[in-house]
Amino acid sequence: MKDDAAKLGFRLTLPAQVLVLFISVFPLLMQLYISLTDWSPLSGLSWTAAWEMWNNFANYADLVSDDRLWAALGRTALVMSICVPIEFLLGLGLATLFMDDFPGKRVAYSILIMPMMVVPAVAGYMFFMLFQSGGPVNDIASALTGGPVTLPWLSDPTLALVAVMAADIWQWTPLMFLILLAGMVGVPEDQIRAATLLGAGPLRRFATIVLPRMKTVIGIALAIRVIECFKIFDTLFIMTGGGPGVATETISVYIYKIATQDLIWGYVAAIALAILIVLSIACVWALKRMARK
Amino acid sequence: MTTIHLEHLVKRFGPFTALKTMDLTIADGEFVALLGPSGCGKSTTMNMIAGMERPSEGRILFGDRDMAGVPMGQRGVGFVFQNYAIFTHMTVRQNLSYGLRATRRPADEVTRRTNAMADLLQLTPMLDRPAAGLSVNILQRVAIGRSAVMEPAIFLLDEPLSNVDAAFRAVMRTELKQLQRTFRQTMVYVTHDQLEAMTMADRIAVMDHGVLQQVGTPLEIYNNPDNLFVARFIGSPGMNLLPGRPVAVSGGLAIDLGALGVTPVLGPEQAAAAGRAKGPVIYGFRPEQAAIVAPGQGMAMPINFVERIGARTILHLGQGQDAAKVVFENDAGFEPGKMLHFAPLPPTVRLFDAASGTALKGV
Repeated sequence: MKDDAAKLGFRLTLPAQVLVLFISVFPLLMQLYISLTDWSPLSGLSWTAAWEMWNNFANYADLVSDDRLWAALGRTALVMSICVPIEFLLGLGLATLFMDDFPGKRVAYSILIMPMMVVPAVAGYMFFMLFQSGGPVNDIASALTGGPVTLPWLSDPTLALVAVMAADIWQWTPLMFLILLAGMVGVPEDQIRAATLLGAGPLRRFATIVLPRMKTVIGIALAIRVIECFKIFDTLFIMTGGGPGVATETISVYIYKIATQDLIWGYVAAIALAILIVLSIACVWALKRMARK
Repeated sequence: MTTIHLEHLVKRFGPFTALKTMDLTIADGEFVALLGPSGCGKSTTMNMIAGMERPSEGRILFGDRDMAGVPMGQRGVGFVFQNYAIFTHMTVRQNLSYGLRATRRPADEVTRRTNAMADLLQLTPMLDRPAAGLSVNILQRVAIGRSAVMEPAIFLLDEPLSNVDAAFRAVMRTELKQLQRTFRQTMVYVTHDQLEAMTMADRIAVMDHGVLQQVGTPLEIYNNPDNLFVARFIGSPGMNLLPGRPVAVSGGLAIDLGALGVTPVLGPEQAAAAGRAKGPVIYGFRPEQAAIVAPGQGMAMPINFVERIGARTILHLGQGQDAAKVVFENDAGFEPGKMLHFAPLPPTVRLFDAASGTALKGV
């Protein structure tokens, strides 16, 4: 009886199940299918006939030897490995500061979290303007140093990378600060007092009580920012368009360019799928590690 | 080991005065309980001794040393929190050795003293277990050991048994008292539970509304309450307090309780106290210290309700202002509705001045 009811329920919801499965899986299957062909919108064939251009995994072979792809990946990793730690340390420092009361705390708090709420494209234009060679950054630097500073921020390969990272840090430190502050507020006051009464100084208290108690929150904050930073695109693209040359071309910018300019969609699909698989494995591994602790 | 002097201690939080002029000296090695209802200022006093709060006025001295400006980490005070504040992300060993490591003692000393403390508190088998998930009596020992390993001169305990269920509390009380005997430190114990205070403390400081009401040994406080608050607060049930006025009767002085009639003749000490009364008095007697008498000889009150708790029977007598309770160890067939004829034992009767609420002493 019960089994019959369950079976009936399964049958009645089957159409909905198929629909949900189709919606979530179809784009991925489509991507897999295209990635195994040389198909492009210029080929004159409908995507349904793309199998005629089957290329025996040539896209995946190309991917391994694509220097521009590896350079873009390396650049993304570089941005990530500089921006995320700086955002983390700034966020942690600010959160520590906000644990104590000081005059103007509420106003400072509002101002601090504002960058997070700026639309990334708008932030891109703001920093594009700030970093012009005749822009405010150079002008302020001139005023401070006394001599004329005319750094070509957005046209020098190294400086462009610095500018792009500065924008990312400006925009995303508040998020880090907010998450870490929430974690820090959650550390029981009594534990800190107990450690103080046992003779621990501020640094030891921070290292032995506050940080270990925030481990999960720190893990989550870092995970969010690492994933987001890997996908860095909008602000950066508006500031430099990935240039000068390929100096700020991250993985998202690279994919965007070959998809819109070179129109080699089969190859784009292969790259995207490869990255998705690698990221998924990394994520599962990281989550398992976190869960074990 | 140190004496603690509290001199004219006052603590205000904004417009609210949590503690009004507290003077108390706690002797070296003494176990003093700060007892009172919630919000009486006992925790505030304790936090000021520990250095977590700064007194608004007055001084705290450990021995001859003024503690003003000495940060809490350097007072040599061990503190056991109400929730124990165990570092649950560490092992028992890391908890016990935390203070020693924080003060940078040599590694071999840390190991030696940690092991010795674990031995003393029977924690050796769980030294390397994570502190999270240990049972509450073990947590209590870890909390005490973590402070005791620093050999503090003063031990402060903030309601350490309030999170424990009633059956277990008795076990923990005994354990705590034994630990205090072992360490022989000056101990200040904050509690709202008079049973804890009565059974463990050398002296009890009863507090109410930020005012120290009375300090004394448990029996002094029980037998000779200084005022109506202490009389009512100590004892379970508290002292019976009936308003009346002294009258001369054949054989000496007694108290006229109005509608309840006249009490039995007062003892000599009580009569002397009644002689000092300048107006109405409060006639006080302990529920446990009354005897059943023949009709017409003592006081008579209707039994309202009989509470039987096995070893004792509590009778609720009378109503309103003229209510009283008496406790008997045996149940002599008490029934609600009947009159109870009883007489408080004359030497245990206490008199209070009705206007001021303070005790009238015979001597």
